[in-house]
Amino acid sequence: MLAKYVVRRFLASIVVVLGVTLITLVLMDRTRGTYVPGIDLNPALRPEDIARLRTNLGLDQPFYMWYLTWIWNVLHGDFGRSMIDGSPVMSHILERLPNTLELTGTAIVIGILLSIPLGIVGALRRGSKADHALTVVSVAGFAVPQFWMGLLLILVFSVTFEQHGLPWLPSSGATSPLNGGDILDRIVHLIMPATVLAFFYLSVWSRFTRSSMLEVLSQDYIRTARAKGMSERRVVYLHGLRNALIPLITLVGLELPGLVSGGLVVEVVFGWPGIGRLAFERALQYDYSTVMGVTFFATLLVVAGNLLADVLYAVLDPRIRFA
Amino acid sequence: MIHPGQGQAVEREQAAPPFEGDAQRPAQSYWNESWERLRANRMGIVAGSLIVVLAAIAIAAPLFTQFLTHFEPFRLDLDHTFQPPGQPHLLGTDELGRDTLTRLIYGGRVTLGVAFLTVALSLSLGTTVGLVAGYYGRWVDDLLMRFVDVVLAFPAIFLFILMSILFRPTPITLAAIIASVGWGGVARLVRGEVLSVKQRDFILATRSIGARDVRLIVRHLLPNVLPVLIVAASLGVGQIILIEAALDFLGLGIQPPTASWGNMLTNSESYFFHSTWLVYFPGITIFVTVLAANLFGNAVRDAFDPRLK
Repeated sequence: MLAKYVVRRFLASIVVVLGVTLITLVLMDRTRGTYVPGIDLNPALRPEDIARLRTNLGLDQPFYMWYLTWIWNVLHGDFGRSMIDGSPVMSHILERLPNTLELTGTAIVIGILLSIPLGIVGALRRGSKADHALTVVSVAGFAVPQFWMGLLLILVFSVTFEQHGLPWLPSSGATSPLNGGDILDRIVHLIMPATVLAFFYLSVWSRFTRSSMLEVLSQDYIRTARAKGMSERRVVYLHGLRNALIPLITLVGLELPGLVSGGLVVEVVFGWPGIGRLAFERALQYDYSTVMGVTFFATLLVVAGNLLADVLYAVLDPRIRFA
Repeated sequence: MIHPGQGQAVEREQAAPPFEGDAQRPAQSYWNESWERLRANRMGIVAGSLIVVLAAIAIAAPLFTQFLTHFEPFRLDLDHTFQPPGQPHLLGTDELGRDTLTRLIYGGRVTLGVAFLTVALSLSLGTTVGLVAGYYGRWVDDLLMRFVDVVLAFPAIFLFILMSILFRPTPITLAAIIASVGWGGVARLVRGEVLSVKQRDFILATRSIGARDVRLIVRHLLPNVLPVLIVAASLGVGQIILIEAALDFLGLGIQPPTASWGNMLTNSESYFFHSTWLVYFPGITIFVTVLAANLFGNAVRDAFDPRLK
């Protein structure tokens, strides 16, 4: 049953990926007009050069021919070359993806590690000062604009600290331009952007853990566990937490697509050389092949995240059945 | 049966659906009850009032600038750039000598207007699609919902970038752009509700006395999905303000010189060393507004969501 369900979802996913890439291409094609990507890099181009460029880039064909060619090539593992700088799209993605994964991965891990204990505390001491404080933090985290929080952090920890001669944090990039790149340097650069992202995850997930935990702790099997004299610790952590975390897994799975596009604002504020910013900059330049490549991967992540969340959920919760 | 993205709804799946033949209660009482619950939530009422006040200020912006700030939102004053907060500029001036408070008040018109328009657009489109898909089922449902899948799987940010190049963002087109992503979630939600309401006896009864599809959908299904819509709308406002502010900040939304809370922050990094108020005030305004919208949204959900009882 599960296998059949996964196959059906997989087939539906193909439709989704095709739909998203097609819409992206159509939108880009409509917006481009007669502009040829990269044309303004060389002002000395003659009209016949531009015509040749158009032919080379495949822009003299209608968009659906371009799309079919693109799909054919992707099926053969070829994502083409950037229309701006001529290097393979794959190498661009592979260059930027690790940075993005480093940033969002760190934020997600910090978010999980902090939100689960905080959520448990909130649920176990419902109505206490700690619980109220947690509520305030989580409500604030949900309402603060990420780019503004980033700006404030830069203002305090980069600008003000430097003005007062304190050790300051770098405000931009993933490594220092000079002598950078060792692990300590990367961590120092990671602190502020990861904090902004993690704060958001923390506020959502801690709230969710709390309510999920409260619901589980009111179930009959928890009363049974207590009634048979099991220690409170075992009740809470073995029987309560394990069941409370199941829905959280879905939520984290649904956050996977955010790995690529969700961090864009943070990447822009902190000058982080991630994949979201790559797509952002290249979309503004109509670099079809790069944007299509990133869109393809981003959509793949969305689809995979949804599928993973559903399947994990069903595997972990035997009450769910597939139809 | 499971749908992608169903996880969030799971924590409240066992509660009773609305309007389930509860013979003792008159049909009116659901709304009265919900309204009473909302009124009893002091935090929610305070937050809701704040939103109303902010909206009133935005609508009456010319009055406020006339009698309170005495400045025009677009008037440049290059002799008084980067004035710190005080008199006569209560919240200081920016790099072109424009009064920050005046621009915040006018920015509120744009930001709040876009937010409410976006909610209205995504609700009407999402509700229509959800009702049609859920009611007719079969291939109509399959077709529409696969399309919704595509919309929801779209990395939203690319859609925003491309659409904002395609349609030069004005408040109205910006609302349409944001709503073009937002309606998908509403459609899924409404369809889910319709699927369960459709099974009830009163629908069968209505059909058996000869009601047509349109009447059935508009008069009988729509009122039953209304609670879900009210909750979705009030929870959506805050998130939409955040999205809009981020787009403005990235330069994809409202274009200068029109002020919006987001685009007032676009270049603020350049002023870090001398004029920090230009960073503080627009951000605080966004934060407080979204906070109020979210708290009000939570209160509405607690009061109106029939599944939470």
